Formats: sequence, structure tokens, C-alpha cells
Amino acid sequence: MTNPKLLIAGVFLTVALPFGALLLSSQVQLGDLAPAPEEEGGALYPATVPGLAVQGRDVYVSLGCIACHTQQVRPSGQGSDIARGYGDRPSVARDYVLQSHVLLGDRRIGPDLANYGARVAPAPKGAQTEPEKAATITKSLAAVHAAIHHGNAFAFLYEADAKGDFAPERADALAAYLLSLRQDYSSPEAKLKK
Amino acid sequence: MTQDNRSGRPQGRPSPGDSRLSRVEAQLRGPFLLFFVSAVIWLLVASVLGLVSAQLLRGVSGEVFTYGHVSAAQHNLFIYGWAFNAFFAINLWLTSQLGRFELRNAWLVSLGAIIWNVALTYGALSIFAGDLNGFSLLEMPRTVGPVLAVAFLLSAFWPIVAYAQRPTGHSFASQWFVVGASFVFPLAYLLAQLLVLWNPASGVVQAIAHSWFIQNLLLLWLGGSALAAVYYFLPKVLGRNITGYYLASVAFWTFFLFAGWTGTASLLGSPIPVWVQSVGVVGSAMFLVSVIITAINFHGTLSTQSGWSLAWNSTTLRFISFGAVAFTLYGVLNAIFSFRGFNAVVRFTSFSAGQEQLLTYAFASMVIFGAAYFILPRLTGSLWPSAKLVHLHFWATAIGALGSISASLAVGWQSGKQLADPAVSYAQVLTASAGLASASLLFAILLLVGHVAFALNAFGMILKSSAPAAEGRHD
Repeated sequence: MTNPKLLIAGVFLTVALPFGALLLSSQVQLGDLAPAPEEEGGALYPATVPGLAVQGRDVYVSLGCIACHTQQVRPSGQGSDIARGYGDRPSVARDYVLQSHVLLGDRRIGPDLANYGARVAPAPKGAQTEPEKAATITKSLAAVHAAIHHGNAFAFLYEADAKGDFAPERADALAAYLLSLRQDYSSPEAKLKK
Repeated sequence: MTQDNRSGRPQGRPSPGDSRLSRVEAQLRGPFLLFFVSAVIWLLVASVLGLVSAQLLRGVSGEVFTYGHVSAAQHNLFIYGWAFNAFFAINLWLTSQLGRFELRNAWLVSLGAIIWNVALTYGALSIFAGDLNGFSLLEMPRTVGPVLAVAFLLSAFWPIVAYAQRPTGHSFASQWFVVGASFVFPLAYLLAQLLVLWNPASGVVQAIAHSWFIQNLLLLWLGGSALAAVYYFLPKVLGRNITGYYLASVAFWTFFLFAGWTGTASLLGSPIPVWVQSVGVVGSAMFLVSVIITAINFHGTLSTQSGWSLAWNSTTLRFISFGAVAFTLYGVLNAIFSFRGFNAVVRFTSFSAGQEQLLTYAFASMVIFGAAYFILPRLTGSLWPSAKLVHLHFWATAIGALGSISASLAVGWQSGKQLADPAVSYAQVLTASAGLASASLLFAILLLVGHVAFALNAFGMILKSSAPAAEGRHD
């Protein structure tokens, strides 16, 4: 204890050990994860999201939405996430590989959003005609925009700008982002029950 | 080994107008007061923001003052503004006392203080402007990170220098904790900045890195610095040895060894490898070893020869023993609620905020207050202007802290229990806990009252202090 070099070396080790064991080895374990097909030769999931959704993600971060909303579904043994309909399966690491900064969140003052898009706009059962598709999109967008308002708290996203133009660009981007949130596909680590 | 008064220098309050500062203390008076005044200002700002965020939960909002912005700014300013500045000051003072360290380059420390606080102001304003990240306590724009790291090294690297240069052969527990804390934080902060913000690791590895960083910050830096202060002031003011002091080195090593492993227990159920979660659970249980030993050291010392009543009658020890008890409670609570069954109930509720407040407020902040009541009179050479304000400060912060922590824990547990039933909606949960939520608003007001009382007293004393910085008693 009296030798400063030994003390510093010991403290360094106590920091380096968990860093190596937890961070480096989980990077080794998870670093190579990539989107995987649901079934042999099928489309890759998680799917890349449209550009507007990427912009909407920045809006989500900059408004501080993460203070109240998580984006993770716990397995059925832990909490009621699946029973509440936040998802049909637990979230797995592969669901987040395309996100530059993951937004898992650690506090739920509002509902979880990991599957928000899938809840508002469920995947259609069977083929749809063009007018049906358009109607579904209109309906789900209306639902998302209503939710973004939070009563009246986030109405400023919809306010006209100084020139009087109605330009809710941020709200549109945010809606596109929220609709892109879906973990309703089978992942090699977590299959959906058919 | 004792840490009692070794040289017959003045203890506690010197008589008014008496500038019997040791040369060691005269040198660090400037930087100390700079840190301390900044800390108290940030504490006031954070308490006001705490009130604002409690109100925002009731639906008031606007573009700048979204709940996300206000709560992030409050959290960052409380930790980086109040607790960091205060511990920069206290660690510097402890170091100079225990190692007879002469701070010849006080201007470097003051430079660090200025850079730290300017960068923090910029970071907080950026959060309100919407330029923030989604990781708690890393919300400030990433450009702030390296600046804060440099400022930290300028402000808080001195304990390590002092420890290496100390003239005496032996060392004290307080020194180990200060050295360890000052060494760990910049390392963990820079690695976390790198892995989370600058060169993000793949997917959820960021979340693991973040939880590791949070535990290093809260436990090793804040907790370690606060433990150092308890190890110093308890024997110093009581004038007796720490009970079972030979165990302190075990406490130190187990504290540093296990604290780094506890972080991932906050990610139970998250999409990270299960073994990483389990390591966190085991780490939190093992961390109890250091909690138990510090409990033996602190509560044992307080329990002999009517120590508790002596502590109650000393302003410094009243705060510090409050903090020591809070640390033991925190360790036990943290271990219990790391187990999967309990954690599943309280995960994502206000419970974890209550746990954190137990560590950062009831433990660390109360220890800072106690240390301030001891150090400030010595450095300024004047008395605390008002004894009434001291009492108001203690009762308001003690009741406010107990109340708001219990409210967070109770609301967290209650709403967690309700949410386990999938039929209960978030709106119903909010309604059910509305009573406790308004109680926590009341406690937040009480905390603000206590902080204002403390600030009035401290600023009053600093302003009327007559001890000139340059002159000092040469010993």
C-alpha cells in the first residue's frame, strides 16, 4: 500500500480486468453480428431503414425522448413486456447491429417503442390492393402523429415557421423513424412462434 | 495508526479573523474556493432544474424545456457540476493535509477549474438546444468529452503526484481512495467516450460500455472520493482510531476490484449476452464485501464510547455519519435488487433513480456538506455566519433526501408490481402513484430550501473572510 507504483498498478488492473472481460469479449462475441435472413435465401433483417427515418432518429435523440421511452423487449421470464404486447419475442443483440448509437433507454415513463412500428402498422396478412395499401399508410401515419403530440406537449413540432409555411419536417421524419421501429421478424437467436 | 491531530494545528473553527493557515492550506485556498463556489452554484441550478423536471412530468412542456432536456441537464449538472467540483476541492485539501503536499502550481488547478466549468456550461446549454446524446451522463456533445478529461487531469491529478512525493513512509486509507478514484475516472471516461460516442462499438456493446462507465463514475470516483473523506473525518473529529482499521486495505482492494463488475447488473433482461448480465449480478453481490468492511470501520468507530452522540453534536460528523449509513444501505439495496427476480419488478421504474440518489445524494453529497463544514472555516478564517441556517440545512437536506429517495423507491416498487400485470396501462400506473409523486415534488422543494440555506451561509462566510490568500502561518 505504501508503494505508489504498486498501488497505481493494482488500481489499473481493477479497471482493466472488467474492461477486458466484459467489453472486449462482448465485442469479440457480438462485433461480427450482421443482418440475417429470416429463412434460407430470404430478405435480411434487421432491414435498412429509409433516409427519412434516419433523420427522424436524430429528432428522437435531440428531443430527449429516451428519458421516458425504452427500446428493448425483455424475455417473458423477466417482466411483462411480451404479455403487454411490446413484442412477440425478446429483443436480441442482432436487432441493433445497424444502429450507429443504440437507444435502449433505462426508464419507462411511457411505453416501450422497440416494436412501435409493428404495433401501429402490422404486417398485412395476405395480398393488398393499391388503394388498401394507401389507406393503411394514411391510417398508421395519423395514429403516429397523434401519438407524437402527447396531448399538446409536443405540438411545437407542428407549428408553422416564421414565414408562415406549414413545415412539420421534423414531425414527418420522427413519424417515419417510429414506423421503422419493428422487431417482428425471426432472428437466428429468437424465432417468432408461428 | 491514527489520523488524529498530529501537529497541534488548529482544529475545526479558528477564532474569527485569525488567519492561522498553514502554508500548505494557503496555497490551495484559491483553487479550493473556486471549485467550491462553482459546485454550490451548480447545486442550486440542479435543484431548480429538479423542480422543473418534476413539474414537467405533469405535462408542461416546450421545445427547449422538454422533460428529456431538463432531466438530462439536471442529472449532468448535479454530477459533473456539483459533485465533481466539490470533490476536486475536497480531494485536493485531503491530499495536502495527509501528504503535506505543497501545491506550487495552483494556477494549473485554477485553469482546470475554469476549463471544467466553461465546458460544462457549454455542454448543459447544448442539451437544452437539442444537441445531446442518448446515454445517461454522456449526454453532453461529444466534443465536450476530451475537454472535460483535460480539465479533470489539471484539477485532480495532484493527489497521485502528492502520493508519489509524500515525505512520510506510511500512508492512510483516505490517500488510497483518493489516488484510486483520481486515477480511474479519466481512464474510464475517455474509454467510454471512445466506445460510445467517437468510435461506437457494435450495437449493444455500447450499452455494456456505458453501464461499465456509469459504475466507474458513480462508485469508483464519487463513492471512492466520499469514502476517502469519511475515512479522514471520522477519526479526525472523534479523536480516536478507526475500529478494525487493519481491514481498511481489504475494503480498498475489494471496493476497486468488484465495483467495475457491478455495472451490467443494470442491464438485466436487455439484449446483451446473458453471461454478461450474470457477471453483473455476481459483481454486485461480491461488492458487499467492501460494503461490510466499511460498515465495520465506520459504524464500529461510531458505536464505541458514545460515538453516535458525539457525531450528532458535531456538524461535520452529523452529515458524514449520515452519509456512512447511506453507503451501507446503498450496498445492501444494490446487491438485493441485482437479483433477477427483484430486478425484473423494478427495472425501468423510478427505483433505480432512487438507488442512484442514495449513492450520489444521501452518501456523497452529505459527505461533501460535512467536509465543507470542517474545511471552509479553516480556509476562510471566519465562522459560519448563522447557526440557524446550519440547522435548517441539515434538517431540510436530511428529510428531503430521505423523503425523495423513499418516494422514488416506493413508487418504483409499486408501479413495478402493477406493471407486472399486462392489463394495467401506464396511465393507470401514473394515477396510482400520483400521491407519492406530489410528495416527491414537496421533497424536491425541501432540498432546494436546504441548498439555499447552505449557499447563503457558505457565500456569506467566504465574502466576509478576512484571511488574505498570500499570507500564511509558516509551519
